[in-house]
Amino acid sequence: MERFNLLKKDHLIGFLRKLAKEYRIIAPVKNRHGDTLFTPVTDLDNDEIDLTNQPQNSIKSFLFPQTEVIATYQSSTPDDYTFTEPEPSFPPTIFFGVRPCDLSAILYMDVIFLKGKKDPFFLDKRRNSLLIGLNCTAPFANCFCNATNSGPFLEFGFDLQFTDLGDRFMVETGRSSGERLIEDRPQFFTPSTEKDSQARYQSFLEARGGFHRPVHLDQTLKKLAKGEVDESVWSFLSERCQDCGGCAYVCPTCTCFTISDQPLSPTNGERLRSWDACTFSGFTRMAGGHNPVHRATGAIRQRFLHKLLYDVKQHGRTSCVGCGRCVGICFGGTDIVRFINMSCQGELYGT
Amino acid sequence: MEHNAAGLYLPKTAKVQSVIEENSQIKTFALSLSMGAQPTVFRFQPGQFVMVSMPHCGEAPISIASSNSRTDSFDLSVRLAGRLTSAMHSLQPGDSVGIRGPFGRPFPLDKLVGTDLLFIAGGIGLAPLRSVILSCLADPRFSDNRITLLYGSRSPADIAFCTDLAAWEKSGRVDCHLTVDHGTPDWKGSVGLVTSLLDTVAPNPTRTKALVCGPGLMIRAVLAELTCLGFDPNDIITTLERHMKCGVGVCRHCHLDDKLVCRDGPVFTLAELQGHEVMELAT
Amino acid sequence: MTNSINEIENAEVILVTGSNTTEAHPQVARRMFDAVDRGAKLIVIDPRRTPLAAMAHLHLPLHPGTDIPLLNGMMRIILDENLIDDLFIEMRTENYHALRDLLFRLDLDEVVRITGVPLDTISQAARLYARTQKAVICYCLGITQHICGTENVQTLANLAMMTGHVEKEDTGVDPLRGQNNVQGACDMGSLPNVFPSYQPVSNEDYREKFEKAWQTSLSGTPGLTLLDMTHGGADGAIRGLFIMGENPMLSDPVLSKVKETLTGLDFLVVVDLFMTDTAKLAHVVLPAASFAEKTGTFTNSERRVQMVRRAIPPIPGCKTDLEIIMNLSRRMGYPMEYDSPAEVMEEIALLTPIYGGMHHDRLENSWGLQWPCWDRQHPGTPFLHKYFFTRGRGHFVPASHQSPSEPMDATYPFQLMTGRIYHQYHTGTMSRKGTLLNRENGEALLQIHPDDAGRDNIRHGEMIILASRRGEIRVKAEVSDQVAPGTLYTTFHFSEAPINLLTTGARDPKANCPEYKICAARVEKIRQGP
Repeated sequence: MERFNLLKKDHLIGFLRKLAKEYRIIAPVKNRHGDTLFTPVTDLDNDEIDLTNQPQNSIKSFLFPQTEVIATYQSSTPDDYTFTEPEPSFPPTIFFGVRPCDLSAILYMDVIFLKGKKDPFFLDKRRNSLLIGLNCTAPFANCFCNATNSGPFLEFGFDLQFTDLGDRFMVETGRSSGERLIEDRPQFFTPSTEKDSQARYQSFLEARGGFHRPVHLDQTLKKLAKGEVDESVWSFLSERCQDCGGCAYVCPTCTCFTISDQPLSPTNGERLRSWDACTFSGFTRMAGGHNPVHRATGAIRQRFLHKLLYDVKQHGRTSCVGCGRCVGICFGGTDIVRFINMSCQGELYGT
Repeated sequence: MEHNAAGLYLPKTAKVQSVIEENSQIKTFALSLSMGAQPTVFRFQPGQFVMVSMPHCGEAPISIASSNSRTDSFDLSVRLAGRLTSAMHSLQPGDSVGIRGPFGRPFPLDKLVGTDLLFIAGGIGLAPLRSVILSCLADPRFSDNRITLLYGSRSPADIAFCTDLAAWEKSGRVDCHLTVDHGTPDWKGSVGLVTSLLDTVAPNPTRTKALVCGPGLMIRAVLAELTCLGFDPNDIITTLERHMKCGVGVCRHCHLDDKLVCRDGPVFTLAELQGHEVMELAT
Repeated sequence: MTNSINEIENAEVILVTGSNTTEAHPQVARRMFDAVDRGAKLIVIDPRRTPLAAMAHLHLPLHPGTDIPLLNGMMRIILDENLIDDLFIEMRTENYHALRDLLFRLDLDEVVRITGVPLDTISQAARLYARTQKAVICYCLGITQHICGTENVQTLANLAMMTGHVEKEDTGVDPLRGQNNVQGACDMGSLPNVFPSYQPVSNEDYREKFEKAWQTSLSGTPGLTLLDMTHGGADGAIRGLFIMGENPMLSDPVLSKVKETLTGLDFLVVVDLFMTDTAKLAHVVLPAASFAEKTGTFTNSERRVQMVRRAIPPIPGCKTDLEIIMNLSRRMGYPMEYDSPAEVMEEIALLTPIYGGMHHDRLENSWGLQWPCWDRQHPGTPFLHKYFFTRGRGHFVPASHQSPSEPMDATYPFQLMTGRIYHQYHTGTMSRKGTLLNRENGEALLQIHPDDAGRDNIRHGEMIILASRRGEIRVKAEVSDQVAPGTLYTTFHFSEAPINLLTTGARDPKANCPEYKICAARVEKIRQGP
């Protein structure tokens, strides 16, 4: 199915405008405060689609919203208590400009939510989503997707994938659903030549060489697998973790959640699913107060082990995609890159 | 009962059929899933749990305490611990609760056929084991098994499941040994930890499987003692209690290193737990 | 703060006193961790073994309310070992002799007896602090919420000045301000005796300036302090109160007195986001817009003025504080018409010298400006007291130990301390609405030492009665060796366990700050049945 097309940058908005007739477009948009966020595009002429900065949010918040109603309930008397599932309401959507890290994260969420018992809410959104990727030609300051093997270019998982070649995009087709997007709008595309492929390869080489941070994840993975990461690393980082949950919230693959009831009146309410973080002590605390996780030494253990050891065992790869967002947001100095660096240094830590 | 995707998080309404007050802290509720006027068939295996909803209280995991031979209703024994269990304690016959499940990996009943069965329980921990005992008693495959129960309570007033204990004792099928942490003047039975009863019954570790459930500290002591007696870690089976939200292996609240208690447990053999960071095994 | 928060990272010694920094100021704690990771030494003075104390190089677990003798003890050792900064004292301070005389009279054995801290530990702390080049003191409400709060602060200043640990980068005395805009509120004159920028109302020139700007006559008599209003309404003279964004029915001491005062008013208006315990007593409640629904500035601990912009329109029915005030003033015959928050900021810049150069267009798309910022060209001031103190020379004010206002006795044998926890914010008006925050910390816990708990057979997690001379509440026991025997600690966020029913109304006569940190208390088990 692999086929390459060219789309001139001048015609990008025109192409998106055609797509927008059938789909909701969600793309990185720079808002008036200068922040770039994945946002539904409502005005193609005035919304500033920003393909040069890393969006602060990932696709997670759309496919697995921060808070989502999973049931409504009503109970007017003790003998009456019934639940209703909400109607699906996710419109056909194209996610445009999704970088390899975030696209890999969607593939990971597919495994989590759809591999076993299918999650009805994720499934509904995912079924109605098409992914147009954007290869990274210039990694950002905190990026390390080269270490997690989820970038800077991606080979699969997308419906279409764009690569910036200056005045034009090279457009790869990954799935038949993506091919249809092109076939139905052939006027925008011209076939690519060997020269374009060379330019794309050149761009890939430059991107691969353009990472700012050396992150020796492979060494850490080996040490974790052999159980060689010293206990002092965990306690050193755990006592510095400020318990804000920011890492889990910005992480494109952190999918732990909690379920809670939100009363709307004495007789009815909503059951909500919302993001949670394994670093919170209440995450594991039981009703009687016992907690199987000792916060002082284990607050961040599950977070890093899950991403770098358990998922490697279970799914064959880490669930850290190297987007670097947690590195930027952590104000405790306990982000995953610090953990990786500390664990491969093999020193003892303590204060 | 199979789940379709659409109902994964949608509780079904169940009606309280009866309420038994086991002691001041524990009540047992018989529930049946209602589909109009007819009770719906509910199948499960001992050791599995359901997620119970109460209005405005969310959900909590509760293990099933009844026999798997009963399919028109099932028992949940509930100890007062938090908001949801407090709300449950005010339930009357005819009231409704929300139920999802059953979930989790059950006790390996097939592997228990033909062995001596030693049940060791503390407090509310008898609830999941009661399910196994009742299921075995109703299952002809287990008619020749020697069944022993060691049951520890805080005080004589805290002994729960008295009706069952009396019935088992009377039937002669279950050899029941009770102990309390703190005796009273009129208590004639033994006083001390449940582990002290092990000396009395002197189980044969080569042909016995031990099923253990209770408070963390008790599990720890019993597992250590059984190991001392020469039990193989594969023959010691316990069930763990954890904070849970989804019950289906996604939300990860019940993580136990790389395992999830709701999906890979709650029933584990000691062999499966060894090498993991388990609160109940910590020294 | 005389320093900027970032400077803490570069300090060589950090002395933290009366601050549970990891819980109350996590962003500051981060800098302390970074400093420690770079080799800085951390000294924590706190009656409790807080998480920060647990990782400190030196923890001085003093008896509550004995800060002055402890700090005096440190200064005496500094004096004895000649670790003072003579040049600094000579060139930049005055009244040093008074301090020296006091220190020479100080009996170190007495210090050890009063504070409960071994002399060796005090000496180590004194040497560590005095011998370093860059030393920062961070203090918080554990210092100020005492009857001798002012003297506590002055004593810290004495320590810093005697060793020359002020007026330099990465060196100074830093009060960590509590709420996100408490600094800004004070800067804007939300104090009884000053106009914005701390310009006294009693000063005729300043008064004239504001009268000219506001076209109305202004009183030169300082107003009432908080407790003067909420404890008896100035002996009944106050008949009406207008309360904005404050919940005295949970946050003020001796709640029974607050309730009596508020219910006795002719007219009470409360402006708040949610129906607080105070709003429930009001005749009129005006629903206010939250931070996310309005544009304006917040001033943080390091005097940094930062802009927030409206993210969502106000929930229907709610108005911003600015709209509420403008609406009211218009109907009361004094129209205050501002087209935008930026116009208010222009007036602030005009009348408030330390904010002189702060305009929304400068604050937009920046990390804010630190006052003093005198004019549009001024870059702001990262640290204060460079080359000179505000008042000229630094003035030593020696102080001696003052016993806490409320003595313990056989009936009330415990010292009860109050404070805050990470996941709740003040009276919980906002934070207690969050499911996850409530899950993390959803109820008041009373820390009690295992020895004390054991004596009364109190179990971890048991509901018990906590009582003082003013009342009693029910609270869950947390048996913990974070507190020393004889002391108790809990938080004030929870209306189910309103700790300020118990706290004392005694206050620092100079700053009028109530002694929230110490009162005498007892615990008892809840008796079951008849």
